[in-house]
Amino acid sequence: MIWRIASFAVAAGFVGLWQLIANLKLISPVFLPGPDRAWAALMRGFATGDLTSKLVGTLEHMAYGWLAASVAGIALGALIGSSRLMRIYIAPSLEFLRPLPVSAIIPVAIAMLGLTQGMALFVIAFGAIWPIMLATIHGFAAVEPRLYEVARALQMSRPAIVFKIALPSALPDILAGMRLSLTVALILSVVCEVLAGLDGLGHWVLLSARAFRSADLFAGVILLGATGYVTSIAMSLAERRLLAWQSTR
Amino acid sequence: MTVLARLDEAKAARQQKPLITFNGATLRLGGKTIIENLDLEVRPGEFLCIVGASGCGKTTALRLAAGLYRPTGGAVTFDGQPMLEPRREVAIVFQDYGKALLPWRTAAGNISLALEACGIPVRERPDRIAELLRKVGLPAHAEKYPAEMSGGMQQRLQIARCLAQEPTTLLMDEPFGALDAMTRQGLQDEVLSLTAASNTTVVFVTHDLDEAIYLGDRVIGLLPHPGRIGIELDVNLPRPRDQLATREHPEFLRLRRQLFDFIKATEH
Repeated sequence: MIWRIASFAVAAGFVGLWQLIANLKLISPVFLPGPDRAWAALMRGFATGDLTSKLVGTLEHMAYGWLAASVAGIALGALIGSSRLMRIYIAPSLEFLRPLPVSAIIPVAIAMLGLTQGMALFVIAFGAIWPIMLATIHGFAAVEPRLYEVARALQMSRPAIVFKIALPSALPDILAGMRLSLTVALILSVVCEVLAGLDGLGHWVLLSARAFRSADLFAGVILLGATGYVTSIAMSLAERRLLAWQSTR
Repeated sequence: MTVLARLDEAKAARQQKPLITFNGATLRLGGKTIIENLDLEVRPGEFLCIVGASGCGKTTALRLAAGLYRPTGGAVTFDGQPMLEPRREVAIVFQDYGKALLPWRTAAGNISLALEACGIPVRERPDRIAELLRKVGLPAHAEKYPAEMSGGMQQRLQIARCLAQEPTTLLMDEPFGALDAMTRQGLQDEVLSLTAASNTTVVFVTHDLDEAIYLGDRVIGLLPHPGRIGIELDVNLPRPRDQLATREHPEFLRLRRQLFDFIKATEH
């Protein structure tokens, strides 16, 4: 508890320092608004609904891309992870694709799909799939072999083995991968919005900066930070709930 | 016809129709012969114990009987049919209960796994689970996760899960090897009463010679490299067995001596 209070105190200290720097005009107010002005811009943005629609746009990009990456990543990871042969055959291709910077993929995606929502979805999903898929492969490969024997002795069907043995056993790994991907999805949402001019906070931030509306710019940045923070907390809560059995170890 | 003659006849009839048969069973794995030319018959309702030095293939023999391995030579049959895949009427209790239980399911959930696999309707499961937990002495622990239970409790839970598939045959692979002496004795007596009540056939692998004699109707000692039968002892000790009286019985001590001499001789 005392640590939580301390962490809030540190955060408040940073905000205070920011206000001090802004008040002393160490940096021109054209570029650096104080927290008071940023907060006012944030409230104004919500009041007019401008910022709300941008926030919804970013959340949509992030959610769709992340969900697509999760579904595809878990399915592919399960397929590859549950077969040693698949791992041997597919691993080299994965090792080639994985380290590719997503920024290098974006021009390719734009060339093929245009400046569209589909392009954004593809880029976000492509970037976010790796942590999930690799974690799922690891999780499926690490299932206790004894449990497969138990399943054989019970003559369980193949789908039953996947859903009752392999998937729950790999769940801690999968959730850890999904948590990493959440951050990747947010970053790529912003990048796609900036590059393709799609409706969202990335676009808002870019336009505000170009128009020297520094308060609006900071409002957008604060909102992006808050989005990352809140989704991460939601993910933690989901993990704690789904992995309740682990806390008993 | 005298009662004794009738008993003999019944015994003979049983001997004619063994439940599990190893017929010259051989298993080679990776160029090594683990088991060679094993001939063995397990009678219905019998409690058979298999002992031997480590690496003699006793666990392998059990896995052959379970259908987890297929013999590379000869045959293993169950009820007259080749045992090529595990069957529901044969349950196997693994030594490493910690690995054999699903850590993300509660005690009730772990038993439910077997009921689900057997296609028991959802409505009937709670009653069956409660009954099985009561049978193995865990009625108050239905909602506990395996990690919250002691080793002895976890092994009881695994036994309950095996009983859930209503097996005619129970294959046990050193089930009490990792438990302390007191827990072990308690579980020995529970397994005896559980299997006697349902007339379950048991094949019990152990490295504890006393345990083998205490539990078994018959004890088989395997010779290593490759695994084959070295000694076969009939245990004619009165039932129900008693932890003190049985272990002090002169016949128990004679068998124990014989088995120890055999094992000692194989260790060279």
